[in-house]
Amino acid sequence: MTKQQANWSPYDFNGGTCVAVAGADYCVIAADTRMSTGYNILTRDYSKICKLADKSLLASSGFQADVRALQKNLEARHQIYQHQHNKQMSCPAMAQLLSNTLYYKRFFPYYAFNVLGGLDNEGKGCVFTYDAVGSYEKVGYSSQGSGSKLIMPFLDNQLKSPSPLLLPAQDAVTPLSELEAIDLVKTAFASATERDIYTGDKLEIVVLNREGIRREYMELRKD
Amino acid sequence: MHLVNKLSSSGSSRPFPVPSREPSSVEKIVEIDEHIGCAMSGLIADACTLVEHARVETQNHRFSYGEPMTVESTTQALCDLALRFGEGDEESMANTDFLLNNCASRLWFPLVCCGLRKGMGVSRPFGVSLLIAGHDENGPSLYYMDPSGTFWQCGAKAIGSGSEGADSSLQEQYGKDLTLQETETIPLSILKQVMEEKVTPNNVDIAKVSPNYHLYSPSEAEAVIARL
Repeated sequence: MTKQQANWSPYDFNGGTCVAVAGADYCVIAADTRMSTGYNILTRDYSKICKLADKSLLASSGFQADVRALQKNLEARHQIYQHQHNKQMSCPAMAQLLSNTLYYKRFFPYYAFNVLGGLDNEGKGCVFTYDAVGSYEKVGYSSQGSGSKLIMPFLDNQLKSPSPLLLPAQDAVTPLSELEAIDLVKTAFASATERDIYTGDKLEIVVLNREGIRREYMELRKD
Repeated sequence: MHLVNKLSSSGSSRPFPVPSREPSSVEKIVEIDEHIGCAMSGLIADACTLVEHARVETQNHRFSYGEPMTVESTTQALCDLALRFGEGDEESMANTDFLLNNCASRLWFPLVCCGLRKGMGVSRPFGVSLLIAGHDENGPSLYYMDPSGTFWQCGAKAIGSGSEGADSSLQEQYGKDLTLQETETIPLSILKQVMEEKVTPNNVDIAKVSPNYHLYSPSEAEAVIARL
């Protein structure tokens, strides 16, 4: 008689793709709104983007229960920070906090693939990309999730960031205008939707700039 | 022990000179972080506990948020510590529970009742006043903290045995638009007034935060003294 193995996993995979692009004075964060499990769709209208602070937005794909727990954790930490320091957290500070929060659960990770986007203290766009355990890097653009292997090479081709190893440190933000960047993101998602079964339904785009936050939607293929 | 502090520089004097005492071992101005310095007056051992706590807090902040802690938040962190005498902390409560469950209760009970049950909190206030000077995104700032745990933001302040006279002199001479040179000489000249012995590089400490903390070497102190 063979030993009984546990056939229960604490994790599930809800699919989806997230993208963020940093500009000189704006940041575009986008994610699709499809939530799946296996070959089924749970809902066509689920937001993966969360506003953590005035100038920081988090887009996460992976296991949405863990994503939600992570968002709540960070929101609570931000409240405490505001009480203690009498100011909002800057995007680089939130980036460090997210990294530490993820590594804290190094041996039972948040199954969340994150892209943090926002404006830094000078008003320049910044994007931080993470793995599941908190390793992060400041970049000019990034994508995470099921469609990232389709989108990332396309962004590399269009936005070609200078190597972060070059000295003196080169600016990673894209010279594109805000409207051009949004158009690029829409194109990227439309392409990813064609071949990735977990990406589709609707695209949520959030734009952060000097004037504030703006949200827009675009329909994607529903198959 | 007299301390005089102005926005961006501070001077302190060493206690009554005793020939056998090594002057450089008396440290009354210390660094808390790259951008924050602290001058102390009172029970120096208590001050060292507070400074150590501030150092830990500022480094924790850098670790968690990747940014320097503001001077006000640092001061607030110190003041939070100042109020913890009398009742026990939650942390020490956890320790006492372990002891209660694991030791022969008959023997430990009396001890537990009066001491440990209350928690190993601090038994008396910190007998020290601090001047916390630093530079953050709001520019240079100076905070004064007393044993009650209250803090004030000041442009100029004196603490220690000659502080009353020094404070009134500061009132007259301080202005928001002083140059760095003036903020060096003014506290030192006030120190000279209240000190009994002559001001030399060996019996005063001068430090500035502009924008990083820097404790003057004897030769730099010498240069400022020469300008008095």
